[in-house]
Amino acid sequence: MIEGADEKHVREVCERFGERIKRVERIAQNQWLLLVDKNDVREVVSYVINRKDWGETQLSTMVGTDERPIRGRFSIIYWLSLNGGEGDVFIGVKAYLREEDLSYPSVTPEHPGASWYEREVHDLLGIEPEDHPDLRRLVLPDDWPYGVYPLRKDFDYTDSPRREFTEEDKYPYRKPPEGTVVHPLGPYHVALDEPGHFRLFVRGEEIVDVDYRLFYQHRGIEKIAERRLTYDQVNFIAERICGICGSSHAVAYAQAIETAGGIEVPERAAYIRTVMLEIERLHSHILNLGLACHDAGFDTAFMHAFRIREPVMWLAERLTGNRKTYGMVLVGGARRDFLDYRKGLIEKTLKRLKEEFREWVDSTLSTGTFVKRCEGVGVLSYRDAKRWSSVGPWARASGRNIDVRRDHPYAAYRDLDFKVPVYREGDVLARCMVRAEEVFESIWIIEQALDQMPGGDILADYREIPARKEALGYVEAPRGEDVHYVMTGDENTLYRWRVRASTYNNFPSLPDALRGNTIADAPLIIASMDPCYSCTERLQVVDVNTGRVTVVKEEELVRGCCRWE
Amino acid sequence: MGVTLRYPFVSIEAPPEYRGVPHIDPELCIGCGACVNACPPDALMRIDDLKNGTREIVLDIGRCIRCARCEEVCPTGAVKMTGRFEVASLDRRDHVEVVRLRLVRCEACGEYTDYTERQVVKALQILPEEEYDAEEIKAYSRICRRCRRKLSALGAIEASRRFAP
Repeated sequence: MIEGADEKHVREVCERFGERIKRVERIAQNQWLLLVDKNDVREVVSYVINRKDWGETQLSTMVGTDERPIRGRFSIIYWLSLNGGEGDVFIGVKAYLREEDLSYPSVTPEHPGASWYEREVHDLLGIEPEDHPDLRRLVLPDDWPYGVYPLRKDFDYTDSPRREFTEEDKYPYRKPPEGTVVHPLGPYHVALDEPGHFRLFVRGEEIVDVDYRLFYQHRGIEKIAERRLTYDQVNFIAERICGICGSSHAVAYAQAIETAGGIEVPERAAYIRTVMLEIERLHSHILNLGLACHDAGFDTAFMHAFRIREPVMWLAERLTGNRKTYGMVLVGGARRDFLDYRKGLIEKTLKRLKEEFREWVDSTLSTGTFVKRCEGVGVLSYRDAKRWSSVGPWARASGRNIDVRRDHPYAAYRDLDFKVPVYREGDVLARCMVRAEEVFESIWIIEQALDQMPGGDILADYREIPARKEALGYVEAPRGEDVHYVMTGDENTLYRWRVRASTYNNFPSLPDALRGNTIADAPLIIASMDPCYSCTERLQVVDVNTGRVTVVKEEELVRGCCRWE
Repeated sequence: MGVTLRYPFVSIEAPPEYRGVPHIDPELCIGCGACVNACPPDALMRIDDLKNGTREIVLDIGRCIRCARCEEVCPTGAVKMTGRFEVASLDRRDHVEVVRLRLVRCEACGEYTDYTERQVVKALQILPEEEYDAEEIKAYSRICRRCRRKLSALGAIEASRRFAP
């Protein structure tokens, strides 16, 4: 047995590959790092993912790091998680790549879920996955120069390189299949008001295939956090990754640092985090259910969903000081305590919410037009959900029995009792059902947490976080598993921070859910995934032909609006 | 009964826990810059003018994310979150708040140091007097780092001469 392989699954992988696993390192209670040669990565990763008897194994995240300043090489890690009662295990398959030869056999042909990750390291680090079926740009904009890799350490975060933009540089969208027409959708989604461009290839009304271009709002947050922010400052930028599930990101990040630094979070803080995460899930799910109704043309239910949701936002405001960006998480614990009157507030709000939401669900699900509009629409099969490593309600509606809260308990979830709703239909209705049931489960979780909440401190005291420690932090966000990988650095800053939001694993499976449906259902199907783009604060126009950057001022905007009217 | 308020013609009060726009009380601020170090989005800046001997603590609420870290770390309670949330303005400068403080001038060389008069006062207040020679500390506090090092070195030479002339 290789030293360090002290867990059943890790041992089996080591026995299967023998000498080819060069080193095993247990970096945390439930996290193992296996070092392999770059040519063995594909085989080891696909072995773990495709083991039939290991249940819901999936690719949780993949990280590429420029480790040249410390080890003289680049590294890649595929993080695989074992779910669904198989045990609390994360296996990282790590390989080093020399700068002269950054190619390695791509995992995508064996597991399509790796596609985006590999396109991303290709864009940002210049790593070359061989035999990848689609290495078009994913993250970088069209006018970014070739051969400039922003996540490499020799690239400064303030740089903004450009290149002459020519006609050939336009994004190579796929050619529409024979006999189809392109129906553009976006760059703004009709209900979510967020950027993402879809090209539906349609034959008559039917969607035959889909191509998309995303990452219009890539903000380079990971780059800013490396070197520019301290550990405690990153919590707040992590919270701003997402406009809805910000707290999940902040907690995932904090947990990663706590695991890396061996910091023990006080029990009371873990409970406070749990309550905040569940409050976040409540408002997120109710929002999405409302939007689903809106997209299905059932605006009365949409209005009522928002009416019911509003008291949850008010509650969050009273608990944390803000409706959305709670700012409750610091490395080592929480910032505000739940005083007695706040407990009372929560109980009162939940009681009312439970009644009103039950009424809403009953009336919405007994509305024939809504149900008919959702039933059998946008079906994602279990096979597709698994092969894209989908997560969250999107995957649970397709029969994947996964939930990070249950499979890899964090915060206070180990002490709490809750059900994980799973549906097999895989259609829009099933997703609504999963979310509706989860709302009731969240209410139940908060009630338990309030009852059991222990006393004591809410912030751990820690001194120094050692450098070059790697760890994962993970949270079941409203949309599914959020995974943050960190490698700690010198002087209280991160060396590498890799954020993987839940939508990252869900989006690539969207074409499978859209195929065979009608154009009119496309917005509903996209919204039923509850995709999470990001928000922008001011308007900046870059002319790709001349490279001129103009910030549109208020007067111009007003003038422009008047003119267009 | 209508539920829609005639906002902005009626005023709306935020709940007591609300984290609104931060405000620095210029009378309490000592210019230590703890808030500057804690601020994640660089909404707070510390600008020293060593020529004219001033330090400016600049708060730009256009950049502020209302996380209240500044309030948490402020040693004198000068930074406080207010309940204010309406910050729209036609003039960008309305978002900026500046506290200007005097820097200590070194009594030995006459150059300005990188700490303020108020910081010295605060430091002297919190130092436990019984453990230090208060007079000596007070004298040293008016001298810049470089001169202090020089004085210490000279003192050490002086002392060593006493033992090994």
